[in-house]
Amino acid sequence: MKNKYIIGGFIIVLFLGIMGYLFTQSNIKYENNFAVVKSTHKTVKATGSWVKEKSYSYDTEKNLFSFYMKDDKGDEMLVVYRGAMPNNFESATSVVVTGSYQDNYFYAKDILTKCPSKYQEQSNTQSSSL
Amino acid sequence: MIGSIILTFALVFSIISMVMYYLSFKGYRNTISYARIFYHISSIFVIVASTFLWYYILTHQYQYKYVFSYSNNSLSTGLLLSSFWGGQEGSLMLWILFTVIVGIILQSYTSKRGDLEPRVMTVFTIAISFLLLMVSPWFKNPFELIWTTPVFVDLKSINSNYLNLPFLQQFLIPDPQTNTTYVQVSSTLFASLVQNGIDPYTFIVNGRGLNPQLLNFWMQFHPPILFIGFAMATVPFAFAVSALMKNEYKDWVNQSFPWLLAETGILGLGIMLGGYWAYEMLGWGGYWAWDPVENSSLIPWLVGVAAIHTMLVQKKSQSQSERIGRYTKTNLILSILVYVLVLYSTFLTRSGVLGDASVHSFVDPGMLVYLFLIIFIGTFTLLGIGLIVYRWKDLQSKTPQDEGLFSRELSLFTAAVVLCASAIIVFVGTSAPIVGHSVDISFYNEMHVPLAIIIGLLNGLSLLLKWKTTSTQELLSKSVIYVAISLVLTALMILFGGLNDIMMILLAFSSVFIIIINGEIAIKIIKNNLNKLGAYVAHIGLAIFILGVIGSSAYGKEKTLNLVKNKPTEAFGYQMVFTGYEPIENDKKYAFNISMNKDGKTFNAKPVMYIAEYNNSLMREPSIVVLLTKDIYIAPLSYEETGNHDHSNSVQIEKGKSVNFENITITFEKFEMGSDVMQAMQEGRDFQLGASMATVSDNKKIPFHLYRKQSGDKVEFTSFESKELNLRVELLNLSAQGVELSLSKLDEPKQINKKEPEEVLVVNASIKPFVGLVWIGVLVVVIGFFIAFSRRLKESQFSS
Repeated sequence: MKNKYIIGGFIIVLFLGIMGYLFTQSNIKYENNFAVVKSTHKTVKATGSWVKEKSYSYDTEKNLFSFYMKDDKGDEMLVVYRGAMPNNFESATSVVVTGSYQDNYFYAKDILTKCPSKYQEQSNTQSSSL
Repeated sequence: MIGSIILTFALVFSIISMVMYYLSFKGYRNTISYARIFYHISSIFVIVASTFLWYYILTHQYQYKYVFSYSNNSLSTGLLLSSFWGGQEGSLMLWILFTVIVGIILQSYTSKRGDLEPRVMTVFTIAISFLLLMVSPWFKNPFELIWTTPVFVDLKSINSNYLNLPFLQQFLIPDPQTNTTYVQVSSTLFASLVQNGIDPYTFIVNGRGLNPQLLNFWMQFHPPILFIGFAMATVPFAFAVSALMKNEYKDWVNQSFPWLLAETGILGLGIMLGGYWAYEMLGWGGYWAWDPVENSSLIPWLVGVAAIHTMLVQKKSQSQSERIGRYTKTNLILSILVYVLVLYSTFLTRSGVLGDASVHSFVDPGMLVYLFLIIFIGTFTLLGIGLIVYRWKDLQSKTPQDEGLFSRELSLFTAAVVLCASAIIVFVGTSAPIVGHSVDISFYNEMHVPLAIIIGLLNGLSLLLKWKTTSTQELLSKSVIYVAISLVLTALMILFGGLNDIMMILLAFSSVFIIIINGEIAIKIIKNNLNKLGAYVAHIGLAIFILGVIGSSAYGKEKTLNLVKNKPTEAFGYQMVFTGYEPIENDKKYAFNISMNKDGKTFNAKPVMYIAEYNNSLMREPSIVVLLTKDIYIAPLSYEETGNHDHSNSVQIEKGKSVNFENITITFEKFEMGSDVMQAMQEGRDFQLGASMATVSDNKKIPFHLYRKQSGDKVEFTSFESKELNLRVELLNLSAQGVELSLSKLDEPKQINKKEPEEVLVVNASIKPFVGLVWIGVLVVVIGFFIAFSRRLKESQFSS
């Protein structure tokens, strides 16, 4: 018998099964429509822009950073993040928040800011440290 | 200009060399010396071009777009030298530079080993030609002049002698947001300068500089080491393809093996330095964030390590005169994949496909580069995999029969399978954003814990197995003692180390198992033959690394602390006191002093925060107190001066809203912000923020203004008094939420309700037990690779 094929085949099937399962479990979709974001409690990566007019606030005591975000259609939601304001936030034009929508606000586990300033090439953060 | 010309010539010579080498392989006799000459000329041209780039950076020749974009006058020499790889074009250039140098060594290596040279160098020069095409003027050329495409240059970076030129006006573009004026530098401006008899090369006198996150000691080492690894990854590919070209599979393993060992050793070191950089400097909180950039260089490394394991079997089974040896096909495929995955890594990080997925931001290089990268990967995949398919029947017939279930061969193969599984996990997770998905970090962690346990047990067991078959009974009796010792040690960790999670216990057990078995063998070997130590050292390093990961990740603690100045706060058993801040590095940054007290011992942490001029952002640098068994990691979050006042009798008014006080309506109409407020704030100059207010009483409106004035660290608020209304309005605070006022009657005595101002430093403090083992572990692994390398290099010379 070809042992290596039996063992190998078994490992591969088991492995792919576990990976497939975990992938669907930890899979996070990108979503740029806030109506969809608000309709689910699932963890998503919501992409949109910071509503500058509504400013932001940081609660030092509770360590909560909050701001408003809107999507392309102008649909807004309040985003709350446990932690300080991320680097580059003020110059951010586009924001990606990872988290889920609960109780009328979006609870972000992670905030990613993109700052393509029009007077610089789009190379604001480490453009190629690889 | 000259740089582009040199690079273009290097490309042409590289292609000529490739053709000549191919003809030599096809049997032509006179071509080999031409191939060598052209290869060396091409290499020298690349080295010269790189020297030019360094020269331009060091002499501040900002007419080159690359020099302008990634350096400036204030960088130190060391950082200027590393500006070379600060951007995409330059880091490609660095990759090429190392590749041609590796090629020079490879040429000499292969010329001494039979008929290898023409085949290996044909493949190698194809790779160099592709890379050179990449930096040619059509794609990412580091010698592009700044006029080629319009660029906005800060007026401050323009030679002051030319500021009064009348025609300059039409190129000025003010940005009211940041209160900066930019000059649009383009071919039109170039033409105007030339027309007016001005040397355009003297027009720009300062560059944009490096991203503050790159202004770091490690910037000088991490990228070059990583690129040496990338450059060396070309070699196993070239050896595998050359074996397929000749349809001869015996010698290539011995010849390729030392290269693969050196490549994985250096790439591993490069990856680790990146992790250390992130930990020590960028304040990511850890050493590994499963970020696409980190992941994409980890994938080829894992595959390379897998290849080492199966190549060992092929070598071993050859020495027992079993034709070409076992796992030849696996070895060919893995060797090819290492380079293909390096190219894939380049594709992920440079094509812009991961735009939203990473903290590294990727420049979208445009469709042309995107397509070129796809063609690049496609060519090499097709070349490698296509040849394997073409030779499949031959390979099949030359491969020997299978072996028993419990043999070291099989367990080495299984190790390779597990490593490939790890590579697949990282590959799937990292590639998911291409199809609009993304995985949580837990995906990587949860998948890797069981894999690491398997690796540990497998490694321990495999060393007890003989080559060929071992009887089950023999295996059991031999392993009992090691298992027992490991169990005892793991039990001690559970009792005294507070290990409690079942997966972590298993992981700890398997790591200890590795250390015990490898340690025992290593001690035996030290007495006999140091040469054979490599594998055991590497595996001990792996186990140390895993123990470090368990300690720092699974048993680390984290807390956000509000440190009020001079008030001790308790955290993790330490009395932490924030004692104030001081300017450092020519007042560019601020260090916040925290003293930590425990059992009469005092440690000092100095996390740093500053506003970077480069991108007008708040930058933070953590401070790490390294103790014997743990690191205390202090990442600063923010610094605020709050609570100047007792707010109990104050009122808050949002913009556009009003309040009533003794029949007087007080309205906050709008903010008043001077155009230069933002800039003044960032530069630390004095500035004031104002609020337009109005009172309405008996239909009579009185407008007035309140100001928050800041000079240095001092903040003052103005107030408004009206005898007519018998009203005193004091501004307590002015923020984005609105104004905070204290309202009182003039004829009543003014209440004294001010408190001492409080200065609050918010930090994220964490305890990382045994994180030092992570670095030590990786370094030991790397040492292991190099011991193995020196042994296999000697072996490669004795092949037929």
